[in-house]
Amino acid sequence: MAFIEVENLSKTYTLRKKRAGHFSREKIQVKALDSMHFEVSEGEILGYIGPNGAGKSTTVKLLCGILTPESGTARVNGLIPWKDRKAHARQIGVVFGQRSQLWWDVPVIDSYQLLRDIYRVPEESYRRRLAELTEALALEELLSTPLRLLSLGQRMRAELGGSLLHSPRLLFLDEPTIGLDAVSKLQLRDFLQRENREHGTTIMLTTHDMEDISALCRRVLVLGHGKKLFDGALPDLLAKYDTQRVITLRYADGRSLPELPHGCAVSRDGQDHRIVYSPDALPTAQLMAALQAAGPIQELTVQSQSIDHLIAAMYREMDL
Amino acid sequence: MDTIKLYLRSMRMLIRSQLQYPASFLMQTLAQLIMEGGEMLAVILIVDRFDRLNQWMPGDLYFFFGLMSVTFYLTEFFGRGVTGAFPGMVRSGQLDTLFLRPRGILTQILCSAADPRRVSCIAVGMAALVLGSRMADIVWTLPKALLLAESILLGVLLILGLFMIEAVFCIYSVKSVELVNAITYGGRSACQYPIDIYARPLRVLFTVAAPFALVLHVPAAYILGKPLYGWPGWAAFLCPLSGGVVFLIMYAVFQRGLRHYRSTGS
Repeated sequence: MAFIEVENLSKTYTLRKKRAGHFSREKIQVKALDSMHFEVSEGEILGYIGPNGAGKSTTVKLLCGILTPESGTARVNGLIPWKDRKAHARQIGVVFGQRSQLWWDVPVIDSYQLLRDIYRVPEESYRRRLAELTEALALEELLSTPLRLLSLGQRMRAELGGSLLHSPRLLFLDEPTIGLDAVSKLQLRDFLQRENREHGTTIMLTTHDMEDISALCRRVLVLGHGKKLFDGALPDLLAKYDTQRVITLRYADGRSLPELPHGCAVSRDGQDHRIVYSPDALPTAQLMAALQAAGPIQELTVQSQSIDHLIAAMYREMDL
Repeated sequence: MDTIKLYLRSMRMLIRSQLQYPASFLMQTLAQLIMEGGEMLAVILIVDRFDRLNQWMPGDLYFFFGLMSVTFYLTEFFGRGVTGAFPGMVRSGQLDTLFLRPRGILTQILCSAADPRRVSCIAVGMAALVLGSRMADIVWTLPKALLLAESILLGVLLILGLFMIEAVFCIYSVKSVELVNAITYGGRSACQYPIDIYARPLRVLFTVAAPFALVLHVPAAYILGKPLYGWPGWAAFLCPLSGGVVFLIMYAVFQRGLRHYRSTGS
């Protein structure tokens, strides 16, 4: 039996829309999740991606026990989230990037103590876990500060600490790195990897940040219009869309590009030229030869498209 | 027991966090004092004008007013999560976070807000109770004291139950429904006077639907030594239980409503 089992899970929202100029309201049924089906093993880190409105949050809310589906079922470690809510709550931790779960006006440590009481964590394990998290998340100087005085990065660390105090077996992260600076992002990723390695915590990560996905997740699940579109390793997903290369080059004398073979998209930024082409149609060697023949090259780099471009191409192709 | 401990700890923390802004707290508490003092003044003026209202003497009227004030504002002090904060919690999505924790949703709602500024209103109510008790020459006995406590306690449950009607609407429509205020705040304003001064439809409303009359007025009449509308004395101890019934019914409706909670945004 898999750790998380999702079978035929569907959720429809009924929206009432006011029509312009009419008093009556139109009822619109929106399928947020349409017969979703997947399994996750214990200890996995799963990336859950898709454009806005694809049904990511709905899935997370169903698996957390916030929403009740109309049909289908889901089990986490044998428990149905919306039926066994309290027992299920003890085994999960949740961090929403845009929604705080700690108390705003009191020092972080006070929030933690209240969470300890809410989750009925025994004093001994609370102390041990707090010491561990304090070290791993560098919480020492934050604990005595009220939440409202913390920076976004500090707050995210405090939130993460709070969601892990009761040592959950499954951690949901909803856009955890949104708005964080580079250092904070890297720290957060390191911490999540460590938590996963040392405690075997299963992690389900929803994000738009592809760097998060490539750094953390061996497996990604792509969602669109409430349906599963892809389930597998990130490199396999990208291989299909990773068909273009980008050359950036500058001539020693700052000259313009020569006439190039068909199938190149060219742009210029000062003395730097940018050429996007697909190696399948136009071999790199042939393009290079043409560039080199034109004059003395001072600098040249060949790169793949960024993951964001690939994902955008994928969403386009999947008609999302 | 554990739940009560959690509630008390939450209250302590909430009150402490309100006191982080002492100037604001003081000003608002003072404003509440003026507001509730004004209400009391209105009652005094009315009493002054009619020296009696049906069978009720001035002292009786102060007692009724005090009983309602103390009950209503105790509810707002300690039940702020239900009486005021809930619509905001639905709109901001804070309600979501309550589902993530291994405790009852209502418990957590009650644990999540307090309104200590109401302490001044409660003080005015207490003053009115003492004044009324003196003027009406109440002879306090143990049963009477217990009945007063029962009446206030179940009155708190009744008021919570009535505010939960609004909470249920909120879950479905994500908006608060002002109409419900007619029986919550309206009930407070109307039922700070004895029920028998009103016309039949209002009497029925506040006896059957929102039974302030049963929970507060019948015990008050007993304590003041007045006839209980022809009922035997023990009825005074039984009537307040209707407040508990309202609370339990609304609790069940509320739990059902939560299953239809739709959450907001992402």
